[in-house]
Amino acid sequence: MRLTGMIQYRLFLWLGVFLLAAGAASAMPGPLEQARTTVDAVITILKDSALEKAVRREKLSSTIRARFDFTEMSQRILALNWKNASEAQRDRFVQIFSDLLERNYIGRIESYTDEKIDFLKERVQGNRAAVDTVIVTKSAEIPISYRMVQQGSEWMVYDVVIESVSFVNNYRNSYGEILKKEGFDGLLTRMTEKLAQLEQGGDSSQP
Amino acid sequence: MTRIALLLLVLLLFFSFPVAAEEEFSLEEDPFAEPEAKKIADPLEPVNRGIFWVNDKLYIYLLKPVAKGLRVVPEPARISASNFFSNLGTPARAANNLLQLKFANTAGELGRFLVNSTFGLAGLFDPATKWGLEKKEEDLGQTLGHYGIGQGFYLVLPVLGSTSLRDGVGRIGDHFVDPLPPALKVEELVALRALDGENELSLDKDTYEGIRENELDPYLFVRDAYTQMRAGKVRK
Repeated sequence: MRLTGMIQYRLFLWLGVFLLAAGAASAMPGPLEQARTTVDAVITILKDSALEKAVRREKLSSTIRARFDFTEMSQRILALNWKNASEAQRDRFVQIFSDLLERNYIGRIESYTDEKIDFLKERVQGNRAAVDTVIVTKSAEIPISYRMVQQGSEWMVYDVVIESVSFVNNYRNSYGEILKKEGFDGLLTRMTEKLAQLEQGGDSSQP
Repeated sequence: MTRIALLLLVLLLFFSFPVAAEEEFSLEEDPFAEPEAKKIADPLEPVNRGIFWVNDKLYIYLLKPVAKGLRVVPEPARISASNFFSNLGTPARAANNLLQLKFANTAGELGRFLVNSTFGLAGLFDPATKWGLEKKEEDLGQTLGHYGIGQGFYLVLPVLGSTSLRDGVGRIGDHFVDPLPPALKVEELVALRALDGENELSLDKDTYEGIRENELDPYLFVRDAYTQMRAGKVRK
């Protein structure tokens, strides 16, 4: 009786180890699952009304930043200008740009709380993926697609396409005009000023 | 009206020749990259920027405060108003689906109209969407685009905002299949359009405020977003 108990126990253990190993091999969730995990985490933070505003922002920031590849995004926005920029200019751009985006979009995300987000499908090709989602509000359905690139086991977002308006293309074109007229350093100066102005103005400087 | 439309059409044909693409720098191939819309020509940029500036002030000091006032009306009622106006847009959508030979969508639009005008209480509700008959947005600007006519150039209209030569011509064309103009006096029409616009604005979550506050050059940002958005709609 005791012997069979031991055997059963061992068997159970081995089974457990086996399952764990198998799990690890297939555990790498795909881009859709990873995007969903981040979105769910964001929603959980937004719904936690006990959080202080500053703490909430901090949590949102780290959750979102962990899923975004700002370097890849910056490269695509700057295109040729990235190639011609110095290392220092590149680093500076990535840093200010991600700060600007954070200030811009975290405020906007905070106004979305009751909306439902449906994850429709993922399309994967090599190390690139598109994850199609739709935000269902009471009055409209807004299609949002995340473009992701694989880095190790992580899928990182580098472009967001809202109703066929690509974030990267939008910034490439609008920043492109400024770059053409004022050069890389001119653009950086304007971005720095904007960031300072936003930080001074507080969170919701309504006109 | 017709004469202006004709003039615009001539201008449109003249300006819609493609502009040579700039040197492209490609990073790692991205199979999912949104096809990049051609940059829109903007020969009237100084004028457009002027109107953009006026619209900005109009928005901030008049249109948005009115829309915020409208928010005392419960949201479901405002959504119903939005549905009602959208239902009246059926003839234009159906006609443009037909012009693009999208027969199933044309039938869908007509079906929506029947369902929403009856079960949806004169369009106040949208049961058709729940039954799987979704709205298929098409307008004359998209129809022209579908047949290969480019945007022409960018235009900012007073109050109405971003458009292009092509889409402006389209607006005028769509006006002719709109059921409201023949039925109403001009001032009634304007009042209804204003109500429609204010109502939509009341449902919006401060999109424009975000842009004007955060972007380095809101004009460029809006111009490009408009161009991409319209190119996306033409592709669909």
